Amino acid sequence: MFKFKHLGMGAALAGAALALTGTAAAQDSGPVKIGAIFSQSPPGSVVQGTQVKAGLEIARDMLNEQGGILGRKVELVMEDGQGLPEKGRSAAEKLITRDGVVAITGEHQSSNVLAEIEVAKRYNIPYVNTNGWSDAIREKGYRQVFNPANYNTRVSQAMASVLADMDVDSVVTFAENTDYGIGQAELLGKYLAEKAPDIDFRYETLDRQSKDFMPAVLPLKANPPDVVVNILLPPAAYILMNQLYEQGVAPSATTWLYDGAGLADYPDFWDNVGEAGRTLLEFGLYHPAMSMPPLGEKVSEAYTERYGKEPNRLIFQAADSLFLLAEAMNRAGTTDADPVIETLQGIEYTGTRGTITFSDEPGYSFQQWLEVPFVTYQLTETGQPVSEAPLVQKAGQSLDPDLLVRPGD
Amino acid sequence: MLYLDLTVTGLMTGVFYALMAIGLTLIFGILRVVNFAHGEFYMVGAYTYTLLSTALGVPVWLTLPAAVLVGAALGWVTERTLMRPLYAGYSSWGLMKDEYAIIVTFGLSLLLINLVDKVIGPYPYRGPELIDTARVHLGPVIADGHRLMATGLGVAVIAGVFAFMRFTVAGKQVQAVAQNRLGASLAGIDPGRVSAAVFAASGGLAAFAGGLLAPIINASPDVGVFTAVKSYVVVVLGGMGSVAGAVVAGLFLGVAESFGAVFISYGYRDTFGLVILILVLMFRPQGLFGEKGRSV
Repeated sequence: MFKFKHLGMGAALAGAALALTGTAAAQDSGPVKIGAIFSQSPPGSVVQGTQVKAGLEIARDMLNEQGGILGRKVELVMEDGQGLPEKGRSAAEKLITRDGVVAITGEHQSSNVLAEIEVAKRYNIPYVNTNGWSDAIREKGYRQVFNPANYNTRVSQAMASVLADMDVDSVVTFAENTDYGIGQAELLGKYLAEKAPDIDFRYETLDRQSKDFMPAVLPLKANPPDVVVNILLPPAAYILMNQLYEQGVAPSATTWLYDGAGLADYPDFWDNVGEAGRTLLEFGLYHPAMSMPPLGEKVSEAYTERYGKEPNRLIFQAADSLFLLAEAMNRAGTTDADPVIETLQGIEYTGTRGTITFSDEPGYSFQQWLEVPFVTYQLTETGQPVSEAPLVQKAGQSLDPDLLVRPGD
Repeated sequence: MLYLDLTVTGLMTGVFYALMAIGLTLIFGILRVVNFAHGEFYMVGAYTYTLLSTALGVPVWLTLPAAVLVGAALGWVTERTLMRPLYAGYSSWGLMKDEYAIIVTFGLSLLLINLVDKVIGPYPYRGPELIDTARVHLGPVIADGHRLMATGLGVAVIAGVFAFMRFTVAGKQVQAVAQNRLGASLAGIDPGRVSAAVFAASGGLAAFAGGLLAPIINASPDVGVFTAVKSYVVVVLGGMGSVAGAVVAGLFLGVAESFGAVFISYGYRDTFGLVILILVLMFRPQGLFGEKGRSV
């Protein structure tokens, strides 16, 4: 009996070993699984998640048409991060331990990125941050995490320069109560103090789930600032804009409205803000007038063909995330984590938005593509598509104040 | 001027808190359960109003009652299919497994949010305004024309609910069932029908609020979540089951939040209600207008 028990156990172990070998063999010959985490349901930004998904799928299809990664098809294993750090963390855990993904990408909310990179670090899995802007992500200094996306310091420096060139005296910023919002507002204050110390700057955090911002707007009526800056994402940003407009605070003859959250390239922007969006100044990571590498043109065409509308920045950022991973794996000749990470560290790759390299300087620039291109444009007409909005600050140049259209003109 | 602005804005917000809370408190009064899907009735009202107007071109003055009808139908179906099995077969109200109501309505809330997210999509929709007047100047106070109109309609409906409860036979039947379900049934009132009617009315009121606010809040799948939380605070603050309490507490909360956000900190705006709630529960656990205890 004793022997039979041991025989049974041995057989079970042998079976398990065979099964594992079989799985490993299947993974080597089957598709390359890349984990993709983004918001597919509230309270996360499903609007952003939908765009990230579209960008990833276009990149996946383009890669597969060209032979995939190391001759194997690319498979995206998608999980819903719901904009909740705990969901993002468990999604990353599941992707790595159950699905056996070789890398993770797609996340677009900083709070979730901060949770997911802990898992990526623990399992030593390459992680490409698609749209988490918070500097705290970079400051962790994790070798597994790469940032071809925009970052708060970049936006804050750019916006501080624009505000300094606008020659204004007072700026009030409304920021959402997230790592992204608070981080960016604080940095904007810091860089504004350096570039234009005479500007009176203050910021207020607003709950992104709130539907009424009147108590924050009303005090500005008596003493309107020269500029109101928005650092909230939709739908809260739309509600804030409508209430600022309703109360005659901004945009108005005395107060500019300046958005740092990229609202204008959301497909639902004009349906939700109407007149409140006219004369909005917009920090932009994508504008059709920007020069773009051939890969960017191809992704743009594929998106327009598939969805019948203009692409926005998230499409390109998501596509770049996947293209980078594929390129690193192809160059490394393996999907194993360490060679892929080392390849990414030294990579020089022309993606959809420019030639991407990663800095090894610690702090906000760690494994960050520092030269993310940006412009500033102004929506001069209600319902105006981004492609027709005039640039008031071209990529790599300063703001031209003469091009600005005064609210009320 | 700021004080006046804050008072007017707070009262306007309070009207909608009250409108939402009345439906919730009516359900509690009749069924002794908390409907965790109440915010989603509001969301359905906002979508109905917006999509009928923008996608089908129905005039806004027809889409508003349509939103009420859809909300009422949803409330009625919820009571008939999800709530009724919870107490069917029990002769004593005390045996009702109301803990199941929490789970069922919470599940319904998640279902509706995700259903709308998948079927209609994640993008927010802004509803059309009832009147095309962007800004109305009332002395130093500026208000959006739609917001004023919506507030006026909200006040009218709240007054209508009071009149219904006080002066109609049906209203007295609702009060009778709220006071003593068994006693009411012995007097010939059908508690099941009253429960279904109250659930329908509650759904209709929430959808009405959602429709009225659709141009301000921009309908999205989770638009009702935050508003529902405020409604729970208002209901407990006013006294669970008290319609008058819900109105007074709604207006009070609206004004308190408005002033607190400016003179204390906007960051704590949503905690003021909870702090007031804790204080009320400490010193008057039954709420402002609630009864100390109910026993039969």
